[in-house]
Amino acid sequence: MNKAKNKKLFSMRYLFYDFVKITSAIPGLLWFRPKWRFQNENAKKKIRGGAIAISNHDGFFDPIYLMFAIWYRRHRFICRKEFFESRARPFFKGFLCIPIDKNSFGIDSFREITDSLKAGYLVSMFPEGQINSGEEIAAFKSGVVLMAMQGKAPIVPVYIKVKRHFWNRVVFVIGEPIDLIALYGERPTFSQIESIAQLLREREEALKAIIN
Amino acid sequence: MTRAEIIEKLKDILLSADDRNRETIETCDERSNLALDLGFTSISTLYMVIAIEEVFSIRFDNVGMSDFETLGDVVDYIEKKLS
Repeated sequence: MNKAKNKKLFSMRYLFYDFVKITSAIPGLLWFRPKWRFQNENAKKKIRGGAIAISNHDGFFDPIYLMFAIWYRRHRFICRKEFFESRARPFFKGFLCIPIDKNSFGIDSFREITDSLKAGYLVSMFPEGQINSGEEIAAFKSGVVLMAMQGKAPIVPVYIKVKRHFWNRVVFVIGEPIDLIALYGERPTFSQIESIAQLLREREEALKAIIN
Repeated sequence: MTRAEIIEKLKDILLSADDRNRETIETCDERSNLALDLGFTSISTLYMVIAIEEVFSIRFDNVGMSDFETLGDVVDYIEKKLS
């Protein structure tokens, strides 16, 4: 795991992010009444240094849920570059998001992600690629595997069960971090990358099974 | 480095990465289409870019899947970067 090089507790860069996080903490806790479940004892350990958090993607508010799930870290979410081209650009920039072009994923975005991981950030993403309104978790895009390998960072799977009614609680299931380099080496083949993406989806399914 | 040497190195990279397409990779040439003949996706393009940067000690500008159509385009790019 990459050591955290961004050790600054506070920086002007984080001002907007931290302000929103602090001011929304109590209303969020009261409304979501979140409940944390853990896959095993290893999953209970706090995530330190560079890592990738992945989660199922059921709705527009999933990034907020994921921020609650791993509340003690600043997340750098990957988002579509169209958001950065809109009037909401300052908001996404303030939230430390990393823009990517879904149609032609370029090496510059990839470098920004891997550099962030190496610098000790938590990069968060939804490997299903888009909001999935179905019951089943969709196939995972394999880009997440390449990012974790190149950024030398573990992947932390999180399953989010959203509230369907106001009396429900939001449930987060945190999985054990997966160190892909330890399992597959630094340069897997294309077919291994696809199998790893499938394995990650299975891990996500296993987390879902814990609460269903 | 000649174009033939660059292609040989590219083939080595592809052979180590793609264990399902050995025959196609061994017989490919500059006209081979990355997507149609070699089955490249955006992720395989990224993978190849990373490996090329390491092997040839060059740094790619912002490139994506749409920037290279054939293996010859990749060789052109590497040649330009090496010159």
